[in-house]
Amino acid sequence: MATNVGYFVRESVTNFQRNWVMSLGAVITIYLSLLLVGISIATGIIVSDIVQSVEDKVTIQIFLKDGAAEEDVQALQAFIDSDPQVDTINYTSKDEALEQFREQMKESPEILEQIEENPLPASLDVTLLDPREVQTTVDKIKASELFLAVADRPDDPEASLKYGQQVVEKLFAFTRVVRIVEIVFISMLAVVSLIFINNTIRLAIYARRKEVGIMRLVGASNWFIRTPFLMEGVIQALIGALLAILSIVGLQALILPQLQETLPFLAVSISSTALVQLSLILVGAGIIIGLAGSGFALRRYLKV
Amino acid sequence: MISMRGVEKHYVSDSPALTEVNVEIEQGEFVFLVGHSGSGKSTFIKLLLREIMPTSGQIIVAGQDLIKLKNWKVPYLRRNIGCVFQDFKLLPNKTSYENVAFALEVIGRSRHVIRTQVPEVLRLVGLEDKMESYPDELSGGEQQRVSIARAFVNRPPLLLADEPTGNLDPATSLGIMSLLNRINKTGTTVLVATHDREMVDSMRKRVIALENGKVIRDQNRGVYGYGD
Repeated sequence: MATNVGYFVRESVTNFQRNWVMSLGAVITIYLSLLLVGISIATGIIVSDIVQSVEDKVTIQIFLKDGAAEEDVQALQAFIDSDPQVDTINYTSKDEALEQFREQMKESPEILEQIEENPLPASLDVTLLDPREVQTTVDKIKASELFLAVADRPDDPEASLKYGQQVVEKLFAFTRVVRIVEIVFISMLAVVSLIFINNTIRLAIYARRKEVGIMRLVGASNWFIRTPFLMEGVIQALIGALLAILSIVGLQALILPQLQETLPFLAVSISSTALVQLSLILVGAGIIIGLAGSGFALRRYLKV
Repeated sequence: MISMRGVEKHYVSDSPALTEVNVEIEQGEFVFLVGHSGSGKSTFIKLLLREIMPTSGQIIVAGQDLIKLKNWKVPYLRRNIGCVFQDFKLLPNKTSYENVAFALEVIGRSRHVIRTQVPEVLRLVGLEDKMESYPDELSGGEQQRVSIARAFVNRPPLLLADEPTGNLDPATSLGIMSLLNRINKTGTTVLVATHDREMVDSMRKRVIALENGKVIRDQNRGVYGYGD
């Protein structure tokens, strides 16, 4: 068996050298396909991290009208607190709201100078145990009479309630579209890679048709004849996968720090475990493409 | 060793390539298969190698029923059949030694076996001093000897030769035939398809004659025997 492994490796390498132009073509197509697959997965990881961090910041802000009765506000507060989904409720007075506003706007004093009297409403800030359930809680609050009694604009309940869900939902909708485009694109690239490997293996079979004929004649087993070709396909795919992994590692080392710099408020990073998983996925995908492409060529062009 | 009963082969439905072939060849026999081009000699050989299947009939080679033989077992059948062709089928980028060794390598023989058996069989065919020569450095007769060495290195019980002297001059052909005869003396069954009249007539072996896909004659110590 040890001699066999040596034989297979030798044969595959020789073939690779013989049709290196075609092999290079196959390697490059696999490389590009897997690179795009890898980038899209990495982007997916980063985006879902961002979505997560945005979700964690989801709070429901209920704006209260000026001069709302204190007992009404407290009643609403008690009503909201009775919801098991609610984590904390904080009351922000008009003065506190203005203070926060001044804090956020201290870079642009000219805006602050314009403010004569406090235009900001008081608010109740609600955080939830599970931010994804925000819609249920919001619906419950909106339906409540207590809320309408104290809302900043009772005529338009929507405007008196602010929660991050709209942002998260838009983000999700966007990533969903991106993902569909990616899948279509990646499938097309996978097909192209398969065709390329199929072609290279076909050429390899053609270049060795005499040897294959003799092998059949002297009784080499079918797997013995097929294995070098299969290995060739897998080697091409593995080289493509390795290049893709190296490029992705390089890209993330190059781009992520800059991205972090421009978007300091978002956690833009990929953990090393995620990178390892990504690499394994790419290697796995490469092996599957390599085996499928050469397997297809063998079925069609090598009748053993 | 070979048993064909009621074998028919049609490539296209109207004209049979072989029809009503009943042939029994015992172990250790030396048999000539003669006939004009298109008489069915090649079809006969291909059927024995199970490169093709008969349309009907039964074929048993080396104890294997070829009709029932599973596809994946065909390689193991072929390890029991040595094969020699008119065009030698040698690999031009390998030396004589490597060409013979290749046949053992690809059926998974160990290096030790290869190192002992290859020189031995090359000595048997008289090429012990041409082991490192490439096919284009050898004469036609020498190339055919390498090809016979390759067919015989695995000591198969059956050796098939399809026009082994078709490309060779009479003197060289004689050498090849006497080599095949020597191999036959070791107990190997030898079947030679040929239209080399002089050879068949001089060797006086069993002759099976084909015409238009039919066995028209099967005689021991026979001659080529066509009128033309």
